[in-house]
Amino acid sequence: MELFDTAMVLTRVMTSGVVMSIEKSDRELPGLERLLTKRTKRSHAVLVNSRTAAVHAALAGQGIVHGDRIPGGSLSPETRAFVNWLGVETTGTGAPAFDEIALDAHVADSLPERAAEATAPAIVVDLTGLGFGPAAAVLTDDPTVWARAERLKIFGAHDLRTMWTQEESMPDLVPGVQFNYRLSPLVAACARMALMQTARKNVETGARL
Amino acid sequence: MISDFPRAPLPLPDEAEVDSALAAHGGPAMVPADRRRTQFPVITKEDVFTMLLAQRQEPEKVVAGFTEAYRDYVGAGYALPTASGTASLHMALAGAGVRPGDEVIVPAFTFIATAQAVVAAHAVPVFVDIDPLTYCMDPAAAEAAVTERTAAVMPVHVHGLPADVPSLRRLASRRGLALVEDASHAHSARIGPHVAGSIGDAAGQSLMADKNFPLGGEGGMAFFATEEGYRRAVRHLREHGIDYRMSWVAAAFGSSQLGRLPYYDAVRARNAELLGDSLERTGLFTPPHVPEGWTHSYNMYRIGLRPEAVGLGDLDPHAVKAAVHELLVAEGVPAREWQNTPLPFHLPFRERSGFGRGYPFTLSPAGSREYTPEDFPNTLRMLDSTLVLCRELRAPVEYERILRYRDAFAKVAARPDAVRDLAARQEVPHPYERAARLG
Repeated sequence: MELFDTAMVLTRVMTSGVVMSIEKSDRELPGLERLLTKRTKRSHAVLVNSRTAAVHAALAGQGIVHGDRIPGGSLSPETRAFVNWLGVETTGTGAPAFDEIALDAHVADSLPERAAEATAPAIVVDLTGLGFGPAAAVLTDDPTVWARAERLKIFGAHDLRTMWTQEESMPDLVPGVQFNYRLSPLVAACARMALMQTARKNVETGARL
Repeated sequence: MISDFPRAPLPLPDEAEVDSALAAHGGPAMVPADRRRTQFPVITKEDVFTMLLAQRQEPEKVVAGFTEAYRDYVGAGYALPTASGTASLHMALAGAGVRPGDEVIVPAFTFIATAQAVVAAHAVPVFVDIDPLTYCMDPAAAEAAVTERTAAVMPVHVHGLPADVPSLRRLASRRGLALVEDASHAHSARIGPHVAGSIGDAAGQSLMADKNFPLGGEGGMAFFATEEGYRRAVRHLREHGIDYRMSWVAAAFGSSQLGRLPYYDAVRARNAELLGDSLERTGLFTPPHVPEGWTHSYNMYRIGLRPEAVGLGDLDPHAVKAAVHELLVAEGVPAREWQNTPLPFHLPFRERSGFGRGYPFTLSPAGSREYTPEDFPNTLRMLDSTLVLCRELRAPVEYERILRYRDAFAKVAARPDAVRDLAARQEVPHPYERAARLG
């Protein structure tokens, strides 16, 4: 992404005064969620602050927890180490628990095609390569996967209010171990702009030819 | 362009307003409904310019430069930047040598991240009561909870007041425990000259955008007294493939905010002193207790109630609190309850499923301990009889705003009859039996 464009996005968000990921008035995180669901043709997106957070969310969302097993054949050594740290064993081959897509500026436009090829119940999309720091998302069509993953990233809550009150109408969805895996609106805004630009560059308008 | 610029100023205070009818009774609110928004964090041209400059640097250098600047400010030996406060606490525990199945003593009254970080370290949190004056971990209760499996004691500098670290240090030394600070509320807080985060063997600190020292979104910092602790934490991340890295965007934001932190600290201290002096004069309200030599950073400002001082001693304290709360909110003071449920009674610590199948709670006898509310009498008393201000003292609010808060407390305190009437009309459960009222 051009430095000027990044500067515009960062300045816009900072001028809005909304830089906290749990502000009711934040528009950046929902904006990136919408873009990712549209590009991947999945119903739900969960934004998180790293690839490993997304792996955790993808597993926890499916109810895969300590003592469970998943096929490990396709996992990188780093991912396998992380999954093992969660207490999930990685053995053999088989249908993956999640698919992984890593994006950077050169391959960001391939997201729709790669998502179309994905078959697992959840896709881990690593946005770190876009250049704004660790960032990732889980894409899924399963509302329960989404609901569980959302609660994992915000201390078992489902919004700012319930994070403070700890009210929960669906206790079965609350994970036992909880993290702050929330993504910054500033990072989300930059990632969204980068993804939007990769789409534009493939549109031949002829305007600059 | 959407901007955070306030569209209308508050009118200057007028002493006559203190004697006007309560807003709950139809009188004018001390802070008009359309002027109640408190903007935080304060974002300046300097922040924007620093961010734009950071774009032209290597991301790793932006994060490293910020980390070193903040480490130096805190005075800690080593610092590890993280993506969140919870991650920093996890790293502090790992660096302090906490291992799977160890027990870590934490206060029952704090945000859930404190205890979840213990679980993240595959250890078992053991909950103890707080001191009735400071609301931080009671050292005597901590000592009583030590077992042969205890590896660390993790006090929280609740609301920004450092815990009794000298007593806890003596306990830790005597029993061979690590001392890990949760400094997530305590940016710039001090015991004597020692800044929170630099006092323990390790510390974790949230730097999320709603803290006294905000980064651009989410972030945290783990501090270590020794290189060994720092290296142990870094090794933990590498061995387990965990990505807790801080974004350069967050770090760049923090770099410019750090330069202004002493200014905002000074405004917070000034406003806290102003409000505290006036609360003392109301009779009904008391300001936070700050021990001699301690510096409170006022991430939150907890206000006590003395019903007996205004002839309400015959009422239940929590009923008085609920009535006062309602009257204050009507005046436009967004007083709150915070963490009404002590941590052992939050769902994850009642069910103790942890990472799944009870891990790591199954590793220690403490993991199956059943707590009762009566285990935490000081916490329950505090919840019954106090309210907190959050952004209203955290933000460098306009002078006229802090004066209007002052006058709102004076106005409500001068109407014990109204408090009594309201308390008599309401059936209010104890705070720990219901969700917190957020304003």
